[in-house]
Amino acid sequence: MIPRVLAGPSPAAGAEPLAGHRARLGDLPGRADRAHLIGMLDSAGLLGRGGAGFPVGRKWGSVAGRANGDAVVLANGAEGEPLSHKDRVLMASRPHLVLDGLELAVEAVGAQRAVLYVGSEHSRARAALEHALAERAAERSRTLPRVPTTIVSPPVSYVAGEESAAVHFVNTGDPRPVTVPPRPFEKGIGGRPTLVQNVESLAHVALVARFGDAWYREAGRAGTPGTALVTATGGARPGVLEIDFGTTIGELARLVGVASEGGPVLLGGYFGGIVAGTDAWSLPLDPAVLRAQGSGFGAGVVAFLGDDTCGVTTTARIMDYMAGSSAAQCGPCVFGLRAIADSSARIATGQAHRDDLTRLRGWSQSIAGRGACRMPDGATGLLASSLRVYEADWASHQHHRRCSLRRAAAVATA
Amino acid sequence: MSGPRALDSGIRLEIDRITCDAYGTCAELLPEGIDLDEWGYPVIAAGNVPLHLVDLARRAADSCPVLALRLVRVSIPAAAAVGQAAGDRRPETRPDRMEGTPPWPPRPASRTAKAGPKARRR
Repeated sequence: MIPRVLAGPSPAAGAEPLAGHRARLGDLPGRADRAHLIGMLDSAGLLGRGGAGFPVGRKWGSVAGRANGDAVVLANGAEGEPLSHKDRVLMASRPHLVLDGLELAVEAVGAQRAVLYVGSEHSRARAALEHALAERAAERSRTLPRVPTTIVSPPVSYVAGEESAAVHFVNTGDPRPVTVPPRPFEKGIGGRPTLVQNVESLAHVALVARFGDAWYREAGRAGTPGTALVTATGGARPGVLEIDFGTTIGELARLVGVASEGGPVLLGGYFGGIVAGTDAWSLPLDPAVLRAQGSGFGAGVVAFLGDDTCGVTTTARIMDYMAGSSAAQCGPCVFGLRAIADSSARIATGQAHRDDLTRLRGWSQSIAGRGACRMPDGATGLLASSLRVYEADWASHQHHRRCSLRRAAAVATA
Repeated sequence: MSGPRALDSGIRLEIDRITCDAYGTCAELLPEGIDLDEWGYPVIAAGNVPLHLVDLARRAADSCPVLALRLVRVSIPAAAAVGQAAGDRRPETRPDRMEGTPPWPPRPASRTAKAGPKARRR
């Protein structure tokens, strides 16, 4: 597979300077070609890379249709998902690709203002973007009109990257989700229609604008075009890779040096789902296929859990993290996730109450869809998948208070 | 299901989950469609409000102490939807409920007195 957004110098070499970026990829196309960009994104079939996988062209069209040249574009590089690193790697190594995409978005939707929303823990990414903005400011000739562009950093938080939370933070300094509608594309930053787009999505746009929608579709497999950044953990060579959509999990496992086949795989991060190893290996990394499996591609997290780790302990730690990460606004999330975390912890540590597992099963179904954002849906979806895949382990912990596997997978924050 | 078929009002109930503070008034006024979870927060029956319960649903919404409950029109009512399935049109907002939530009950022959609201743990 041939890298696209990560083509060029090794990401480990740091930020690619503007001169190198231009020499490698050339200028963006002229105004006449750019006028058709939204249509090109539609026919390319580019899906958003922040986790929800919404078609990029359709999103841009909704904002453009509402704005009268006074929209706002927010490049989302919050990346609060603990298992994901791809956005920070991209921002730190290819800042000009992200900024190209941002400028194209500003022009296409008709924006007066742009915001780079970069998680405050991603200091290398922020520094690279600051430097890249300065490089562009010093440039004499420019292809695209320039609008005021600021870098804004929310505090470290799982929910700060949710799109209504991002807009809320820019508007008021509070990085917590708000009740929608109105959604950001209707009424966002400063009350204006706002395009919130993940930074990887913007980088792909910068390439589609240059090379076209047909070129974009040359990569990928089985009806899902393009390439995607993934963060793979659990193998001998973990890290951020660019893969063709449709690459199987087994193929990725070999790429990152996973020793034994067959262990369960956590897909999509703490918002995703666990798939049993027997099912996982032949699964393609394709958002539609994974969704049908009750899991998801999400933001491209693939964590190989191994078959020698305790799924109950791993899940209990993730649930504790999720409960602690609730924005503490909606009752079902505040009380539900805490109850799930406490029950999971008791079961994991051999101190289960009589009805803990029964109650966990109930909560795994009864809390989703009952928050302002999808936090409760994400956490309970992961829990439900764990209860399925590790059914025997949960039962053994609950009823016999023992586990043959003492270790938790390294994916769970302590 | 027995009983006369309930007509679709084309209206659904939505809760502002951030504003909701588990007063439970809605479940007391509309037990047919609103249950409370173990922490006192509402669980709304799946689908649209049956036509014969719309007035009660409106009263429940108006009585919420923090005005967290509202009625949202998502499709044309069944009475006007000649030749069109009332559930065809997508709601404007995402479903405010979980998978497998019991649906609204069929229309009763006559409205009977319900048992009092469940004991709450709040």
